Amino acid sequence: MSKPKLFPVTVVGSWPRPTWLIQALRKRQNGEITQAEFNQIADDAVLSAIKYQEDAGVDIVSDGEVRRDNFYSFVVEKLSGIRLMKLSELMDYVKDRAGFEEILRASDVPSFAIKSPIAIDKIKERDGISLDEYDFLKNHTNRQTKIPLPGPYLLTRSAWFEGLSDKAYPTREDLAKDVVQILRNEVLELKKRGCDFIQFDEPSLTQVVYGDEAEQTFMCAALGTRRDPSEELEFAVRLMNETVEGIEGVRYGVHICRGNWSRKEDVLLKGNYGPLLPWLMRMNIHQLVLEMATPRAGEIDVFKEYRNQKELGLGVSNPRNDTIEDPKQIVQSVRKLLEFYDADKIMLNPDCGFGTFAERCVNTPDIAYKKLQSISRAAEMLRKEYT
Amino acid sequence: MAKSEQDLNGLRPAKIKEILDSLRDNPDVLKAVTGPWKSRVVWQKGFKAKAYMRQHAVQMDEPEGLDAQDSAASAHEQLLSAMGSCLTVGFVLNATLRGVQIHDLEIALEGNFDNILKWAGHSKEGNPGYPTVKAKCFVRADASDAVLREIWKAAVDGSPVVQTVARPTNIVTEFEQVGA
Repeated sequence: MSKPKLFPVTVVGSWPRPTWLIQALRKRQNGEITQAEFNQIADDAVLSAIKYQEDAGVDIVSDGEVRRDNFYSFVVEKLSGIRLMKLSELMDYVKDRAGFEEILRASDVPSFAIKSPIAIDKIKERDGISLDEYDFLKNHTNRQTKIPLPGPYLLTRSAWFEGLSDKAYPTREDLAKDVVQILRNEVLELKKRGCDFIQFDEPSLTQVVYGDEAEQTFMCAALGTRRDPSEELEFAVRLMNETVEGIEGVRYGVHICRGNWSRKEDVLLKGNYGPLLPWLMRMNIHQLVLEMATPRAGEIDVFKEYRNQKELGLGVSNPRNDTIEDPKQIVQSVRKLLEFYDADKIMLNPDCGFGTFAERCVNTPDIAYKKLQSISRAAEMLRKEYT
Repeated sequence: MAKSEQDLNGLRPAKIKEILDSLRDNPDVLKAVTGPWKSRVVWQKGFKAKAYMRQHAVQMDEPEGLDAQDSAASAHEQLLSAMGSCLTVGFVLNATLRGVQIHDLEIALEGNFDNILKWAGHSKEGNPGYPTVKAKCFVRADASDAVLREIWKAAVDGSPVVQTVARPTNIVTEFEQVGA
C-alpha cells in the first residue's frame, strides 16, 4: 500500500457565486422557484467549482458550497422550526442596539446583510443537511471529498435568540441537544456514503476570545448571547465531542478564522490561536483548519506547545485579496511549521472560503483558481523535499 | 427588472405617477403639498419633550450623560433620522417610478458637532451643530449599479429635509412670555 500523499491541498469550502446563481438563490428564498428547480440551476455552478479545484490541483475538493446562502444559514432550507432572519428584523429583540450599531459601523455593513438562522420552534431534520450536496459532489469527482458543516456551537449560538427561541427551547442548552443529535445523524450518514473529510465551521469561537465583550454580537456568525469565555469554550468542546462520539472512519476538522465578510482587513478580528488551543486540543477531531496567511492570525509558534497533537490545515493564501501568493513564499511559511511539526500532519488550504456569503463573495473564480494553483505548486515543491 | 403596474416596493406605480402629475397640473394639490408643515413641541420634564405633528406624536429626550433619562432619541439624532427617512422615501419613489424592485434599503447617517461648547455656554464662537453629515446608502435591488446611483442622486437632490439642512435656511423666531 502506498504511503499517503504529503501536504494534501484542500479548500475551506466556499467558491464565488456567479450572478445568475445569486438571482436564482433570491428566487428560491422568495418562493418563486422550488428547491429542486434551484438545485438544477446550481448544478452547473457546482460542476464549475469542482472543475476549477481539480484543474488547480486540489486533492480534497468541496462542492463550493454554492447552493448555500452562507456557511450556516443554509440550514433553514434543510430543517423545520428554524427561520432565516435578517438582523434588521431582529433589531427589536436586541438588548444592546447601540452596541450593535457600533459593530455595524465598524464592519461597514448594513443590518439587512447579516442573516442568521433563528430557532422559532422545535428544530427537525427532513432529508439531512448536506446529503444532497455530498451525493452530487461524489458523483462528479474522483478526488477525495470534504463537506463543511456548521459546527454545533456555532449553530446553537446563532440560532438561539432570546424572545424568539425561548418558547420552544427555554435555554440554549435545550436547543444544543437537538443540534447535536441532528449533526450526529448527518455525520453518520455522510460516513456511510463515503465522505472523506467533515469540516465543522466554528468561527464564532474567535469572537469568544477576541470579540467585543458585549453579551450579544453578530461578529463571526456569533449572533446570540454568550457567557464567560471559558464557559463558552467548555460548552463548545462538549458539543463537538458529543457530536462525533463513537463515530470513527471519517476525518473531522474544525475551521476557525477571524471573519471573512469583508476585504477590509482592519474590520476583521485579530489575535493568535493561543487562547483557544487548550480547548481545541480537547476536541476529539483530527484537524484544525487554520487561517494563517494574514498577520491578524498571529504567529504559528503558538502550536509548538501542542506539536503533532492535531493535524493542521495550514492557511497559506489570503482569499480576500488579488495577490497570487508565490509558491516559494508558501513553502517558506510551511517550513516554519515544519521546524516543530511533522510533514504528515500538515495539509495546505486557503485561510477561508472564497465566497463565504453568497452576496458578498470576497474573490472571483479566476483569482481563487490561481491562488489554489499556487498552493498546489508549493505542495509539489514540499513533497520533493520531504518525501 | 420592471414589474407590473400592480404593486412595486409596496407602492402602486400608476397611482404614484398620477399623484406626481397632479402636483404639477393642479395648483390646489401643489398648495396642499407645499405647506405649511407643522410641529408643536411640548416640554414634559427635565430634557424630555414631545413633538406633535398632525395626529402623530414623537417623544424626545437626551442621553443619561446629560442627567436625562434617555427615554427616547435626542433631537439631533432625530434630525439624522429625518434626513435618512426622507432619503429613503426619495429613493423608493425614484426606484418605483423607474420600475426597479428594491429588496433591502438601509441608510447609515452620522455627524460630529463642530463646537458643542457653544451649546454648553462655554463658547460664543463657531457652530454647535453638525458641519458635515455623512449618509451611506446600502441597497439590494434589481438594477445596475449605474441606475441605482442615479436613483440615489435623485433622492439626495430632491430631498426636502436634506436640502433644508444642506443650504442656509431662514429661521424666523418669535418669543412670547405667557401669563406675566
